[in-house]
Amino acid sequence: MRDAELSFNLDSDMHPIKGVLRFNADAMITAIENGSQTHLISASEVKEAEVLAGVGCGLAYVKMKDGRDIALARFDMSQLKPAGEWCKIVNHFIETGHAALDQEIERPVCPKCGLTYPEGMRICPFCYSKSSLMRRTFEVMRPFWPQIITAESAQTLSNILFILVPIFNRILIDRYLTPRTGTFTQIAFLAGLCFLVRAVGEAIFIVTARTYAKAATLFCNALRDQAYSKIQKLSMSALAKRTPGDLIRRVMEDTTTLREFMTDNGRWVVEQITMFFAALIILLFTNPRLTLFVALPVPIVAFALSRFWRLIQIRYERQWRKNSRCQSILHDIIRGIRTVKAFGSEDREIGKFARVNRDLAKVSSDNEVLWSLLFPALTFFTGIGEFLVLYVGGRSILAGALSLGLLVQFTMFISYIYAPLRWLVSFPRMLADAMTSLVKLFEILDEEEDIAETAESLDVPVNGAVEYEGVSFGYKSYEPVLREIGFTIEPGEMIGIVGRSGAGKSTLINLMMRLYDPNTGRIRVSGADLRSVSPRRLHERIGVVFQDTFLFAGTIYDNILYAKPDATPAEVVAACKAANAHEFIMKTTDGYDTLIGESGYSLSGGERQRLAIARAIIKNPQLLILDEATSSLDLETESVIQDSLNRLVHKRTTIAIAHRLSTLRAANRLIVLEKGRVAETGTHLELLRKKGIYYKLVIAQRQTNKPA
Amino acid sequence: MQANVQSAAKPDNYTAPELSDAIDLGLIDPSAARFGETAGGFLELTYKDKNYPRVSVRRTLPLGMPYEYLSIADEENHEIGILRKLADLDGDQRRLVEKELERRYYCPNVVEVRSVKDQLGYVYIDISIQGTGDITRRTCAIKDVNRNIRMLSDDSVILFDVDGNRYMIPSLKALSAKSRRRLEPYLF
Ligand SMILES: Nc1ncnc2c1ncn2[C@@H]1O[C@H](COP(=O)(O)OP(=O)(O)O)[C@@H](O)[C@H]1O
Ligand SMILES: [Mg+2]
Repeated sequence: MRDAELSFNLDSDMHPIKGVLRFNADAMITAIENGSQTHLISASEVKEAEVLAGVGCGLAYVKMKDGRDIALARFDMSQLKPAGEWCKIVNHFIETGHAALDQEIERPVCPKCGLTYPEGMRICPFCYSKSSLMRRTFEVMRPFWPQIITAESAQTLSNILFILVPIFNRILIDRYLTPRTGTFTQIAFLAGLCFLVRAVGEAIFIVTARTYAKAATLFCNALRDQAYSKIQKLSMSALAKRTPGDLIRRVMEDTTTLREFMTDNGRWVVEQITMFFAALIILLFTNPRLTLFVALPVPIVAFALSRFWRLIQIRYERQWRKNSRCQSILHDIIRGIRTVKAFGSEDREIGKFARVNRDLAKVSSDNEVLWSLLFPALTFFTGIGEFLVLYVGGRSILAGALSLGLLVQFTMFISYIYAPLRWLVSFPRMLADAMTSLVKLFEILDEEEDIAETAESLDVPVNGAVEYEGVSFGYKSYEPVLREIGFTIEPGEMIGIVGRSGAGKSTLINLMMRLYDPNTGRIRVSGADLRSVSPRRLHERIGVVFQDTFLFAGTIYDNILYAKPDATPAEVVAACKAANAHEFIMKTTDGYDTLIGESGYSLSGGERQRLAIARAIIKNPQLLILDEATSSLDLETESVIQDSLNRLVHKRTTIAIAHRLSTLRAANRLIVLEKGRVAETGTHLELLRKKGIYYKLVIAQRQTNKPA
Repeated sequence: MQANVQSAAKPDNYTAPELSDAIDLGLIDPSAARFGETAGGFLELTYKDKNYPRVSVRRTLPLGMPYEYLSIADEENHEIGILRKLADLDGDQRRLVEKELERRYYCPNVVEVRSVKDQLGYVYIDISIQGTGDITRRTCAIKDVNRNIRMLSDDSVILFDVDGNRYMIPSLKALSAKSRRRLEPYLF
């Protein structure tokens, strides 16, 4: 066996040190701080190793068999997760006598820069170079290459046409105007040629713009679709790391930023670069000395740009953040307006918003001021060569060293050089915006689907048998919520799960639905390991009412249909009757067509629950899960629903969580959860006789229910 | 019930009892508490003749009042009581609780900002930090800057890195001008 090593960095006085916690082949645990051993403990005396999470730090310690607790190693948050893994290895050994082989303890670090990857990221944002970002982008853009290349080459063609105009000008001046020898037709011909070239150029331009806009839109739509379908496929644990607002922004705003960047800026890249170099080459050929004056300000501007760019970027980012802060306050307050009014705190809220708004206004105006100073200054500096050229060129003409036509052609080409340069002044900011959006999108697309619909996903007939075997789980791996859960549910049984709030009842359901996978242990449904069951198939056969019912914006009918899109009206009404929802639905003017959800008809908590129950049972599921599904109902309504459910639950497995213990009187068996463990199982009577936790819960409820 | 009836009868001179009178805060009597350190390195408490072999000290207001209203809990995280303020304890008792706080709340101060790099939505800060011991250097990554670089007041800042570590800048003015300038763009 390889030693399981955990490095830690704080001593018992929280001073920084270099420490190693080691669990070696002889089953000895040693802790070494700065080279000297502080602990030597034999695993045979240890009952359990555990991590205690503090705030900003953690502690690995062992519970000894003689009841003592011994602190082993302290560390900051970077080592919290590895420490949890280390404890698992030790505990695994204590329980089984075997070492878990080759467990990866340390978190993966970027091979290039040595920094640990941020949670949930598979790429090191620091080393994710811009070139590989470009490569990725080109890959995603591949289907749109034909359009983009067509557009770009047409654009280049029109550029070449534009380059001809100054040359025509020179010919006009030097051949016909200066010697005053030109005929009217010659001049008209040249003018006409200029006109034609411009007209054709502009026509190509229009076509290109359209092609480009279309390609950009298609590209971004494709990205948006990809991001959205990825989000749908992500597991709950991956989704929980991000707020809904964050996800929505990625799907909608980041793709829009990209599209705008492509249509407004991306297509200029090739054009401006070709233009710049073509003009530069022509200039060099016509007059190298003058070209030098033109190029003079370029390094200065480039230097200034590189200095100011970061500043501008950060400032605009700050403005963006202030803006989003303002929006979220607004969003929050308007959603909670009822609470605001109930607490009479309107004035306070007005003040709060005004303050944030004032902040935003200040940042925005500061930025505008800076930009309005900086942009003209840079543009002016860029153009300084133009004046030099006029001066030097003018003198050369007077001295007879340069023809007037050549100077005119020269100054016209200068604008061809400066236009790209001026454009470049504002380009970095937009490029940075687009890059950030792109990375955010790739971040979503690269997220691993840890609960994947694998190829070997089984399509098992869910008959309702459920088996938990040594299941442990925590939303954060170092904080177990469920520990060593084991029980079996036979098909057709009605099981009640009881326990204090926070005991882990809903978590147990989340695992059964495979919204999360257990950290250790196994869950079987109809005999098949849940990990091999296709989640989609599973969900089709399970009817569930979650503790927090969510109804979508739409009609009542649509909401019920959500569970079974091909249900007949008769089925919908039957489900609603069973859930005792039919009556209140019929009291509304629009009946089942009543709009609910956002800005629709407001339902009471009990009404929402009844719709959720109807939605769960319309699938005619083999396994029905009710998580406090009737908690907001009065006793009478509950018992009506209970009766119809009792008829329904016949021959199907039902797992019900209820606070009101009377709800569970029909249950075949009860499972009592206490602090994440199964504390008791048995029938109502058995558990009462046992006088354990369940007994206490029942007595407590009887007392509170007693009329005062 | 009783109170309601009374208030209906004599609305003028009836006032509701103070909340803190009506509800027992469970304050710990410092004279009946005896803290100690176990051989295993944990804080233990004997309170009113009952021994708790491993207690934790939790701040009610970690940022606002770090040394007042300290909740003392047993190993099952059940509150034994609230210590009104650390100053109520004396000498070694106070030092023991203080040490436990240091061990539970690790938030070293930033003494220098060496460099700040901004890369694709992450901010990498190279800082020198000091907790209770020596100064050490580290690079930390911060994501979502507007949430994780938080101004506590006009002068103090707290940073949260991607691992969940916290770093405190108790006073921006006390930092060197260079350090402040490096950080400035991210403060708002
Ligand atoms: N999404 C989540 N992320 C982190 N912790 C959670 C999450 N959901 C629940 N918890 C925590 O897990 C524990 C058990 O929660 P839960 O299963 O909902 O309890 P119950 O349903 O028995 O009241 C609680 O301490 C709760 O704070
Ligand atoms: Mg629950």
